[in-house]
Amino acid sequence: MKAVLLEALLVAALGAALAFAANALSPHGLELTKNYFPGTQRASPPPAGLPQPPGVANPQTNSPLELLATRLRENGLQLADSNQVTHMYRDPRREQDGVIFIDARDEEHYRAAHIPGAYHFDRFHPENYLTNVVSVCLTAEQIVFYCNGGDCDDSEHAAIMLRDSIGIPKEKVFVYGGGITEWATNGLPIEAGARNSGQLTNLGSSAASGKATEAK
Amino acid sequence: MTNVIQSPAKRPPLAVAALLARWVLGGLFIYLGLSKVLHGPEFLTFVRQQLKVTSPFLSGLIATTGPWLEVLYGLLLVTGIARDAAAVVARWWLGAVFIYMGMNKALPHPEAFLKLVRQYDIVSSPVWLNSIGAALPWFEVYCGVLLLVGLGVRGAALNLVAMLMPFTLVVLKRALAIAAASGIPFCTVKFDCGCGAGEVLICHKLVENSVLLLLSAWLLTGRGRQLCLRFSLSRRKDQTGKQTHGQSDPATVA
Repeated sequence: MKAVLLEALLVAALGAALAFAANALSPHGLELTKNYFPGTQRASPPPAGLPQPPGVANPQTNSPLELLATRLRENGLQLADSNQVTHMYRDPRREQDGVIFIDARDEEHYRAAHIPGAYHFDRFHPENYLTNVVSVCLTAEQIVFYCNGGDCDDSEHAAIMLRDSIGIPKEKVFVYGGGITEWATNGLPIEAGARNSGQLTNLGSSAASGKATEAK
Repeated sequence: MTNVIQSPAKRPPLAVAALLARWVLGGLFIYLGLSKVLHGPEFLTFVRQQLKVTSPFLSGLIATTGPWLEVLYGLLLVTGIARDAAAVVARWWLGAVFIYMGMNKALPHPEAFLKLVRQYDIVSSPVWLNSIGAALPWFEVYCGVLLLVGLGVRGAALNLVAMLMPFTLVVLKRALAIAAASGIPFCTVKFDCGCGAGEVLICHKLVENSVLLLLSAWLLTGRGRQLCLRFSLSRRKDQTGKQTHGQSDPATVA
């Protein structure tokens, strides 16, 4: 038994060394000292899509949207709802980058579908995106960060990271809580591929549901 | 050579426990195989999407034969036929599973795994969180490789047991929290536990983890040393001067 324990310790020590080495060598490796989740911590929510039973919700807690708004306020961010974001999207200043959208998801999701004209900023690999977004962030009057919506908090962390690292005034920074999921559900235009690729889709099947939502 | 297995006083309880464990393991394999047979289309989708087998012929072959091989393997374990061969298959299968799951977490998006680890609220320090997210997937790959080639098998198996037990408990805790918050039956709770196979039904995941745990424990007893590069990292001579690996004789166990 002692030999097995010693062997396990040896395997563990060697494995830990190799694992950290592999992470360091991997082009996708994580930086150990970096805080990828800046801002106040949130309580772990149930995964998105699970139904909330009637009467189970704690009366002292608010709706997920209110909780999100509170947390964003604590982090010096503003929550933007669907109507605000639609107005911002239709704002003529968007053409001159006076109003910009920043997609905080990974490359794969961004290329699959993003808000037309949105810049891309993946906070896990900021070095690839900073040069594109820093100058527009400094000159833009309103910056809207978004990710998938629901329990996704990439937009929130990306907003804090960019705001604090390049000194964007907090009045400019908004987080779209509904994210790309709500955007698509509302039947608003979607762009695929690179930024301004022109590959626009309108998600016709979901447009009806979007109109129905607005009608409510 | 001291061998606890040969002690007449201790052999019966150990043998009974090993027999029960083997039956449970066999039963779990039969359950897993049959559940895949009963949910054939879902398993085929899993093979195509999660295992990324794009060839229709190959994915169909895996989806149709894989579950029955699991059932057959379960029957071998329950009946005790070809135990040595079954143990070698267990070692290879366990190794392949950990390599696959580790690689899924490590590449190409370790940050996705990092987010899932964060959901468990195990550690608050970014350095600890990043260390878990960065090293754990590669450590799993490393243990999988050791099992596959047969090098330091019992050491690797003990590490897997030491990892699987707390992981299973935290996954269970989170599933219970989700079930309580959502008011849905426990076994219908489905979420990505960060285990490397995407979204899973919690009851299925618990069965899978039990299988992994029992297989690791089985290898820990010294089984599965055939076709090994080197079963134990240590070598010692017993009293007869005959060179042997490790301490216990696997033929006397289970």
